[in-house]
Amino acid sequence: MAPDRGLEAGVGRLITVGTYLSIGILAIGVGVMLASGVSPLASAPPLDPARLPADLVALRPEGFLWLGLLAVIATPAARVTAALVGFAARGERRMALIAILVLVVIVLGVVVARPPEL
Amino acid sequence: MAAGLLMIAGGAAAGLFGSLLGLGGGLLIVPLLTFAFDLPLRESIGVSLVCVIVTSGAAAGVYLERRVANLRLGMTLELFTAAGAVLGGLIAFALEERVIAGLFAVLLVYTAASMVRRSTPEPDVAATEPVTPGSSWTDALHGSDYRVRRLGPGALVSVAAGIVSALLGVGGGIVKVPAMHLVMKVPLRVAIATSNLMIGVTASAGAIIYLAHGEIDPFVAGPTALGVFAGASLGSRTAHRIDVRVLRALFVVVLLYTAVQMVRRAAGTGP
Repeated sequence: MAPDRGLEAGVGRLITVGTYLSIGILAIGVGVMLASGVSPLASAPPLDPARLPADLVALRPEGFLWLGLLAVIATPAARVTAALVGFAARGERRMALIAILVLVVIVLGVVVARPPEL
Repeated sequence: MAAGLLMIAGGAAAGLFGSLLGLGGGLLIVPLLTFAFDLPLRESIGVSLVCVIVTSGAAAGVYLERRVANLRLGMTLELFTAAGAVLGGLIAFALEERVIAGLFAVLLVYTAASMVRRSTPEPDVAATEPVTPGSSWTDALHGSDYRVRRLGPGALVSVAAGIVSALLGVGGGIVKVPAMHLVMKVPLRVAIATSNLMIGVTASAGAIIYLAHGEIDPFVAGPTALGVFAGASLGSRTAHRIDVRVLRALFVVVLLYTAVQMVRRAAGTGP
């Protein structure tokens, strides 16, 4: 294996930062949710990216919770993207191709996961 | 507020015990949400996938920085686990919930059996030998003191692990770690760390399917993920100070009891 302490350390840091950032946003959302007396068993509004900024500005719990959940789900893809850049910079074509294919599979999941009510 | 605090506490307990016993939290979160909070099974699985990403994330970052996880092997195999997860997510919405409950019961029994077997230590079967440069596809995947073998079977098992992950809301380490260690001859500590790294992409590919189907509720996922993260963090800091043998025996009983409840749900006679 090629010496790549920088790549692995960088990708590792990205995962750690992404995870803690996501948890931080979720923690704010949970705090607001508890403070405003919203039950977790209450019906939550569906994800609407267009409404997200307004929900955040209005300090509505769903805004922070959806943002945190999106950050959680996006962090692994961000890690693959960072690795792709690292492999490409090191001329590791096979690994760069693998990283691209992993991203293609994730995008494919988004495409085939059709919401039932659209 | 009480339900929110209970969800955080339940998530924390699942994260703590999962971490102490070397299991992902998913195996515990799904029954917790399904039986204690009466949530539909698919919604519990969707939330569990989110929790699995969170718990694996913190550990995976550290494993990579310490160079225990094999980034190249993990990314190669996660191509297959992610494909399996997309497939598993689609299967999950094609099956009746009762069938999924039955499959979850099988997973619980399998895990309980694995835990019983694990109480007798196994020798590390990985072949450690110097790695010499070559030109094969797997050369880029070798570690500094081990060679990766049988990539094909490892890839096939990875597809299966991805399907299990998305279908049942677990990380799939219980499938991947033995495959990497016993089939691909990767040292156990590297297999565990690399499996942990792969969980993020695998669970994320599955979670996207559940998100698109409206099966991830932010009011449930937020407190549960927060609790699981806190519990798993505590568990990873205290695991080396605790003798988990009694805990493991107790946990086998809990897993089997939960399996019975899942079977009852599958049969339409349970909670």
